[in-house]
Amino acid sequence: MGFLVFGRSMRDAVKIGILYSTTGPYGTMGRDCRDGAELAIDEIAARHPGRIEPVFVDPHANIDQYLEGARTLLRDQGCRHIVGTITSLARKEVIPLVEKHDGLLWYMCPYEGFEANDNVIYTGGCPNQHLLPLLDYLLPRFGRRPYLVGANYVWGWEMNRLARELIEEAGGSVLGERYLPLEETAVERIVAEIEQRRPSFILNNLVGPSSYALHAAIRALGERDPAFRPENCPVVSCDLQECELIDIGLGVATGQLCAAAYFDTVSSAENAAFKAEVSARFGASRRISSVFASAYAAVKLCAEAIIDAGTDDPAVVSRLLCAAPRSTVLGPLRIDAETRHAALPFHLGRINDEGGFDIIASEPAIVADPYLTGRRTRKPPQLRIVS
Amino acid sequence: MRETPNFAGWRATILHREDATTERLTRQLKLFGFHVLVQWTPLAADHLPDLILVDADQGWTGLLPWTDERAPRPLVALLGSEAPGRVAWAMDQGASAIIAKPLASSAVYPALVMALAIHRERQAIVEKIAHLEERVRMRPLVHAAVQKISHARKLDEEQAYRILRNCAMQRRLSMEQVAASIIGGAEPLPEAG
Repeated sequence: MGFLVFGRSMRDAVKIGILYSTTGPYGTMGRDCRDGAELAIDEIAARHPGRIEPVFVDPHANIDQYLEGARTLLRDQGCRHIVGTITSLARKEVIPLVEKHDGLLWYMCPYEGFEANDNVIYTGGCPNQHLLPLLDYLLPRFGRRPYLVGANYVWGWEMNRLARELIEEAGGSVLGERYLPLEETAVERIVAEIEQRRPSFILNNLVGPSSYALHAAIRALGERDPAFRPENCPVVSCDLQECELIDIGLGVATGQLCAAAYFDTVSSAENAAFKAEVSARFGASRRISSVFASAYAAVKLCAEAIIDAGTDDPAVVSRLLCAAPRSTVLGPLRIDAETRHAALPFHLGRINDEGGFDIIASEPAIVADPYLTGRRTRKPPQLRIVS
Repeated sequence: MRETPNFAGWRATILHREDATTERLTRQLKLFGFHVLVQWTPLAADHLPDLILVDADQGWTGLLPWTDERAPRPLVALLGSEAPGRVAWAMDQGASAIIAKPLASSAVYPALVMALAIHRERQAIVEKIAHLEERVRMRPLVHAAVQKISHARKLDEEQAYRILRNCAMQRRLSMEQVAASIIGGAEPLPEAG
């Protein structure tokens, strides 16, 4: 009898695939994602024992292993839901397999937009939720002559292409545009060019170690020439995380800016409770990054929707998910049934000496417009400046 | 750099039997900002939509209201078949992009962007060819006008040609137009220098 009960409960457990790279150029982010996912899984296990079973796969930033990992999850493990991938490269690689198995990919990182796939739920934000409000803030304050840097793949290319278009529409001009491979840290030529061309600000779409190297080099430049200090010519990112500030070195990037839907410093009841929980588990010094919070939120959304629906059928789960906003650490999260993107708040953070971001401007939840159809008829920004 | 295409407010017609494909396609097109109409009857020649998607597997001659490959609107073929005859039908209608069936939602936007760009490029080429043909047709007039100037002013052909060209530039007309006026006597012979 005991065996039967055990057997039934195991059969009832729904497997969720969790696909993050904890090593490689974006390993710091991957480890935070995985920690966030594990925290969510443990919470679900405590509240609904035996209902959800995670299957963790670590592709070690190897694109072939993403495909292999996703195949294992979908075909061999019988997962119909995968939470994960960080880069657009990995997401694009995994999507066709998810489509083939009619599964659902839960993608929770900011990305470059121009996608709305039936087999994906997007909770990380597209450009009208990060880049557009960011430029709305920057152009009038720092000027319209930025320098653009980016990782040499679709995220960097497309973010900078869009930025250039918006800047030129605003009557500005781009003083330079350079790309670095993911693991490249030789930023000297770029920094020399920045020093010579003297831009209004530096839009940084680099990822991982190249981004850290840029911050360090700009810090050194600012010490030589005050024109390049953050208050005069900030380095501005859309995907820099609290956990990465430790890799950059505390104090090195102080004053630089970053846009995100979540920072550790967001003051909300949801976040206060969440921070207490994270402290209890990881220690009081642990700063929560937006990818940690987003992975946590995505796993919880996924698991809770499956439990509420009583099935892991992706169509049923998606319908339920889009029907009403769900309470998450990011606040009440509404997912649009058409675009399958979450509406997300916009926060602009300024890096402080303690490895966190001081929030200097915020905008309430922005509905995602992945194909930027509303761009030319966009309402004027309603940024709330908080400091 | 090409600007980000924006289809907000555009009208698209899908010529295809209503099924799961048209449902997915409609959803995707609405995301891009299109107003979408699905029909499986011949398209009327008046009030053409801004963009047309046609089932090239089942489409027949007469479904589209034009008779050669010069489609007056960007046309996208929806194609599951590999049969050369169906590909040829799509090209004969003037399709400038193909979306493969079964439909992958990620295939739609790139195909529309490309269809639109190729359509515009083709239109520009057609206009340019018409313009060049007109100029070629008028070339004998230029030659005759050069002869006339050269005779009257006792200049060599190269100098006469330069005079004609300067005259056209000053009046902001083509050389062919000025030449036609000179030959027709409507224009006094331009002075040298």
